[in-house]
Parts: sequence; structure tokens; C-alpha cells
Amino acid sequence: MSLELFHSQVLPIRPKLFRFAFRLLNNEEDAKDIIQDALLKVWNQQERMPELQNMEAWCMRIVRNLALDRLKSKKYRNTEGLDRAGEVPANHQQSPHLAAEQQDVMGRVHRIINALPEKYRTIIQLRDMEGFSYQEICDILELTLSEVKINLHRARKSVREQLQNMHVYGLQ
Amino acid sequence: MYMDYNKIRALLEKYWEAATSLEEEEQLREFFVTHQQPLPDDLREAAPLFRYFQLEIDQELPAEPAARVVPITKKASPWQHWMKYAAVLLIMAGIGYSIQQQREKQHQLIVADFGEDTYQDPEVAYKETQKALQLLARNLNKGTEQIEKLSYFNEATDKIKD
Repeated sequence: MSLELFHSQVLPIRPKLFRFAFRLLNNEEDAKDIIQDALLKVWNQQERMPELQNMEAWCMRIVRNLALDRLKSKKYRNTEGLDRAGEVPANHQQSPHLAAEQQDVMGRVHRIINALPEKYRTIIQLRDMEGFSYQEICDILELTLSEVKINLHRARKSVREQLQNMHVYGLQ
Repeated sequence: MYMDYNKIRALLEKYWEAATSLEEEEQLREFFVTHQQPLPDDLREAAPLFRYFQLEIDQELPAEPAARVVPITKKASPWQHWMKYAAVLLIMAGIGYSIQQQREKQHQLIVADFGEDTYQDPEVAYKETQKALQLLARNLNKGTEQIEKLSYFNEATDKIKD
């Protein structure tokens, strides 16, 4: 392997890795750190690169593992999601009242998703926000196809229930 | 529109079951994001979720850190570090030159000491030598005067002892 392979295959997916790390950690600085560590790790294991089926999934997996380690080590409290929730931009061309309401709703959805168990949250992030195929998610999370589908189904079900509650209490 | 809702309902059911394809999920997202009229009750619950996903997808994340990757230069031609080599050469040349200079100086000193005469004119040389020898003799005599006094004392003490 070589520098060229690293340049042509790993560096281009860097933004994607960063997005993933950022979503997992909810923190820009930590996400940047993780990406540095991950790229270093990828580089150090470069002899494995040619034999890898899916380099992107492999890199994502490394990022995820590092992010989870960090979450564990820091006894991370995921409160930043709450802070950030207020910043979720609202749709434009609406009256201020509607916009504020919309923003509030988005904040709630954000909290619902962030409150999910890590496995569910990651799966939803990978599928619904990053647009990965089921197979890619299998590779990233090292799960079988059916496990991915079951977990995704449960994750969505949990989100749906909470959305329904929200709806019932007239928050939409 | 009614048909549309039914289609969305079906897709949504599939979505909750985690059986949708990426394209179908895209359709759902597009529907909920672009749909402006009030939704039927059963469709309303999903709207915020898909709008949220769209926001997350569109969201510009804080400064992508690409700039922090130092692009490792691909070419590593031997001429790339020419300044290093130049510096080493320069230092070596400097050291060599100074050693040579020092040797030359020493050589000159040796030659000056043994190889050449101090004076060209024999007369002057003779006078200078005489002057120097006289100075030496004078100083030596100063010493012998003191020794003479000392021997005088010695003699005296010897006599007393006898």
C-alpha cells in the first residue's frame, strides 16, 4: 500500500468520517481528535488495506470504536445535545411564531434520537442521516444483515412511540 | 393527493419495519419536507422526524478539518532536500579551510624559527649577540657576588668550629 492509496481512498472520506464522529460525540473538538487518531490508526495498519473489501466501512468502524472508547473514558454526559438542540435551524419563510414552534419540535426530535441507546442511535444515524446501505452498516457495525434490520426496526419503533407521545400531548 | 397519502402510508409502514430501500426513504423525506398542506392525523407523527433528518443531512458541520491534514508530499526526489546537502557541504568546506589555514600558519612559524636568520648584516648580528652575552654575564656575576659573601661566612664558621 502506499501513500497514493491513502490519498485516493482514505482522505476523501474524511469529511464523512468527521460527520459520523461529530454525530456520535456531539462535540467538534473531540470529533477532530478522533479523526486524527483514526487516520493514524488506519495508516499504521496500512498493510491490511489491500485485502479489505470495504475500506470506507473499515474506517468508519475505527472511528466508531474510538468514539465509543472516548465516550466511555470520559463518562461522557450527552448534555451538549440539549444545548445544541436550540440551534437547530428552522425552516425559513415562516412567521416567527411558526418558526419558533418548528425549532422547538426539531429540538425535541433531536433529544429523542440522542436519548436512544448508542446502538440504535448509531444505526439511525448511519441509515437515515448518512444514507448507508444495509450491507455497509453491517460492515461498519460488524453485524449480520438481520441484526441490522432488527436493530433498525427497534430503533425506529422506539422513536415512533416517542413521536406519538409528543403528538398526543399536542406538541406538533 | 389522496392516492399520494396512501402511497406514503404504505411506505411509512415499510419504513417503521426497516424494510424500505434508500430511495424509498428519500421519497418519504422529500414528501414530508416539501408538503405544505395540513397532513392527515396518522401521517403527522412522522413529519418532524423526516424534517429533522433533512436538517441533519443539510446541516453544515463545523469547519471540516481537512486543512489540518498535512498533505504528505508525494515526490521524494534526492534534489528535494538540496539545502541540507548544501549546508553540509558548506560546513565541511569551512572546517577544511580552517584546518588548512592553521597548518599553514604553523608551518610558517617553524620556518621563521629555524629556517631564516634574524639579522641580515653579520656586524649587527655580532653586536647584538655580544650585548646579549654581556647581559647574561652581568647577571651571572651578580649571583657570584652573593655566593662570595656566603662563602666568606662559611669560612668564618669553619674557623670557629675548629
